[in-house]
Amino acid sequence: MAEQVIPTKKMPPGLQVENVDDRIMTLNVGPQHPGSGHMRIIVKIDGDYIVDADPDPGYVHRGEEKMAESRNYITNIPHLERPVIHDSCNILYPYILGVEDLVGIEVPERAKYVRVIAAELNRCIYIQYWLAIYGIFLGHSTMFMWPTGDRELLIDLMEKITGARVTHAYFIPGGVRNDVPANFEDVCLRQVNYFEKRIKEYADIFYDNPILKARTEDTGVLSREDAIRLGTTGSVLRASGVDYDLRIKEPYDVYDELDVHTNVLKEGDSYARSKIPWLDMLESCNIIRQALEKMPKSGSIRKKLKPNPKGRNDEVYHRVESGRGSAGCHIISREKPEPYRLKLSVSSFRNLIALPYLLKGEKLGNMPAVYWSLNYWPVEADR
Amino acid sequence: MGTATGIIKALNSGIKHLAVKRFTLRYPEQKLKFVGDGYQFDPASGVAIAGLKGRHMLFHDHCTGCQLCAIACEGVAEAIAMVKVPNTWDQNKKSIMPQIDYGKCVFCGLCVDACPFYALYMSNDYELSSFTKEGLIYTPAQLQVKPQVQQDSEIIIDKRGARHG
Repeated sequence: MAEQVIPTKKMPPGLQVENVDDRIMTLNVGPQHPGSGHMRIIVKIDGDYIVDADPDPGYVHRGEEKMAESRNYITNIPHLERPVIHDSCNILYPYILGVEDLVGIEVPERAKYVRVIAAELNRCIYIQYWLAIYGIFLGHSTMFMWPTGDRELLIDLMEKITGARVTHAYFIPGGVRNDVPANFEDVCLRQVNYFEKRIKEYADIFYDNPILKARTEDTGVLSREDAIRLGTTGSVLRASGVDYDLRIKEPYDVYDELDVHTNVLKEGDSYARSKIPWLDMLESCNIIRQALEKMPKSGSIRKKLKPNPKGRNDEVYHRVESGRGSAGCHIISREKPEPYRLKLSVSSFRNLIALPYLLKGEKLGNMPAVYWSLNYWPVEADR
Repeated sequence: MGTATGIIKALNSGIKHLAVKRFTLRYPEQKLKFVGDGYQFDPASGVAIAGLKGRHMLFHDHCTGCQLCAIACEGVAEAIAMVKVPNTWDQNKKSIMPQIDYGKCVFCGLCVDACPFYALYMSNDYELSSFTKEGLIYTPAQLQVKPQVQQDSEIIIDKRGARHG
């Protein structure tokens, strides 16, 4: 081993010089590498094998929680959906449920169904985008093109309902902002059915593809015990064999009236973690069809709210199942139009803690397959 | 399933798409069709009407210069400024009307929800790009113009797949 510090050189007092091993090399993956998103993973490699990994998020911290303290309950809506613009309905859902609890307002039945439809459409839109990036991470360009194209079917539906392709600002305390357009049920059913037919084709080209299986099977195995111990949520937890879905365990709005199934795989490897969201999309299509059938054909869509609503002196915590896992919102209210404190509990940040455990002992080439299978969204984790 | 059959199945799945029509929207030539005339709000019922949240439409004969839209925008984007206009409308005592900076606007539509006088709607116009920052600031006179938007294609689903047409 080479001597690190030149003996004749006089070092400043108190300076600790790390004795770096020649075998171990430290690499910075990110924050500008397209394969990492806006975050950095500091990996230490021995040859081709990762011996240590340290995820370093925080490059896109926007202070959403602090911003929320100076805005009232309504003007908080547009900026609180910015952490995940592709899944904006689901990230906003717990906040809206919390404000409804604080203000004490009942939601009309039809609005609850419309919310469920919008949330499930948004879940599919998010997962399609995530799947496209997973495909391009593994060098599968077709898997980038197909989900990005098929996602357009659902974006078109969301545009018809809310008037925006992303960042809808659609949910509001007391219901939703506008009713669905006329003839929406038929259009939605037709496009969702075609979408389901399309995503079933992904099995041939992606999930049953032996090249993908060779890349992802048995890489980054997270055992059932570790998944529970590390506190992971959503698709990561369900890929490790834990049957936990908030839509079933803690049903909100009208999920208890719908027939929802969870998808659970036992393997806990990258392949299982990449397959669970795809199975979730098929389940979402079922939920949308059920909701369209059971939805009251007419009725109120929004309860009128005072212009500047004040919450009662209390604190509430609500959580929902988003496209990545449980998304929670803790609001402390002090009888003012603004929240006293708002905390977003997001699944991306919780799932990230599994990354150092999963990467140890893997080859460096497997890093993208393991990292992106965690269903991680950097902007959401930084908030 | 063996490796060879798996790869052949994957290739076959791609080859089938040679017969499927292209799904892509050819944007400058084709433009999407939207529902309705844009996002509107009915203060009497407190419910909005579905539509695209595009550039705003200001009805000068309804606007009273009450500044509620600017107050609604304060916590969101601060895109709305109230500016002096010629004193032509009786209901507008202060002669002020909103001027919207589309460099800041996030198109959330909360200003439309705030207007109690049916004066501010959103239209289907989404092509707002400009070479200068000043070009993004729309004065009340510009907001009054009803946009002419080409809308000719929507998603068609048939046996040969989905396409825009």
